[in-house]
Amino acid sequence: MELELELTKEKQVEVLEVETEIRVLVVDDSPIDRKIVEGLLKRNGNGCIKVIAVDSGTKAMELLQLNKQKAEPESPASNEIKIDIILTDYFMPEMTGYDLLKAVKNFSRTIPVVIMSSENEPQRIRRCKADGAEDFILKPLQTNDVQKLRNYANKSTKPSELKSGIKRKISQLDLASAMNIAERKRHLSRVVMVLKSSSFDISPYFPLACKLVLLFYAMLCLSQLLQR
Amino acid sequence: MDVSMLQRTYSDLLTSLFREGILNQQFTELQQLQDENNPGFVFEVVSLFFEDSGRLINELISNFNQQAVDYKKIDAYVHQLKGSSASIGAEKIRSVCQTFREYYDKNDIQGCYNCIQPLNQEFVTFKSKLEALFTLEQQIVAAGGSIPMMRH
Repeated sequence: MELELELTKEKQVEVLEVETEIRVLVVDDSPIDRKIVEGLLKRNGNGCIKVIAVDSGTKAMELLQLNKQKAEPESPASNEIKIDIILTDYFMPEMTGYDLLKAVKNFSRTIPVVIMSSENEPQRIRRCKADGAEDFILKPLQTNDVQKLRNYANKSTKPSELKSGIKRKISQLDLASAMNIAERKRHLSRVVMVLKSSSFDISPYFPLACKLVLLFYAMLCLSQLLQR
Repeated sequence: MDVSMLQRTYSDLLTSLFREGILNQQFTELQQLQDENNPGFVFEVVSLFFEDSGRLINELISNFNQQAVDYKKIDAYVHQLKGSSASIGAEKIRSVCQTFREYYDKNDIQGCYNCIQPLNQEFVTFKSKLEALFTLEQQIVAAGGSIPMMRH
C-alpha cells in the first residue's frame, strides 16, 4: 500500500514538472547580452526555464514560423517550436524589437512579448505597451525581472491548454487512485476466496457466536466485581 | 607565491578596480551568476566583450579616419559598445560612450572625435586589468585555493 502511495506521488510530481517548464525566446543582436540574459534566466529559473537565443528579429520570426502565410493561423504546425514568452531587445539593426512585437501580435499569437532596452525613453515605452508589449524592462536585467517574466509566461497560458493540462493531471490522479482501489479490491477478493474455500461455513453459527462472546464478557465483568 | 598571498593580491586588485571606477556593481551581479553549473561564466562573458568591443573600437577608429565620416554608423557602434559595457559593469568605458552620445546629440563633431582616444585607452586598461585578474584566479585555483568573494 505504501509503495502504491509513493508511485501516486511520483506521478503527480511528474505532471507538475512537465507543466511548469517555460520556453523563453531571447532576441538580441549583442552576443554579450544574449549570454548574460541566458545566464540570468537559467540561474533564477529553478531548472524550469529553457532558453532559445537568436540574434535578430528575422530569425525569431523564422523560428515562430510567422514568415509563412498560413490559412489557419491557430492550427498547429508539425515542426513549430512552442514558445511561452518572447524577450527582445529594442534596438536591433534591420528589424527592431518593436517591429517584432507588431509582427507577433498581427498574427494573432497570444505569446507575451517583453521588450528590453538600455535606454529609458518614456515615449518609446508607452508606444510599445500600447501596441501589446507585456512589459518594458531596462537593461541590464536583474534577478527580480526573471520572476516578472515567469508570471507573464504563466498568465498567458491559454484556457484550452490549461484545461487539457488539468484534465491530464486529473486523469493521471484518477488512474493512480483507480489502480489503488483495484488493488484493494483484488486483495479483499482474495481474502473472501480463502474464507469461502474453507470447509467450515461460519454463517449459521454467527448469532450463537455473538451470544457466546457477550456471555463471556459478562462473566469477566462479574469476576472482576467479585474480586473487589 | 603561496595561496594566501595570491588571494590577497586578487582581492586588492578587485577592490582597486571598483575604487577607481573601472568596474561597477553590475560586475558583482555577473559574478553571482557563476556557480558550479556555470564555472567559467564571468570569464566567457568578459572574453566575448574583449572580442566584440575590440572589433567595434577598430571600426570606430577606421571610420573616423575616412574622407567622408559616417557619423550615423559611428553612433550605432558607440551605442552597441555602451550597451555591452553597461551589461558587464565596465563603468569607465560606459561613461565615455555616454559622453560621446551627448556630443553626438548636440552635433558636436569635435567633441565626438575627442572621445575616441580616451575610449580606446579605457578599453586597453580594462582589458589588461581583467586579464591580470583572470590570471590570478587561475593561479589560485591551480594552487588549490578558492577565489575570494567581494562583499559590498
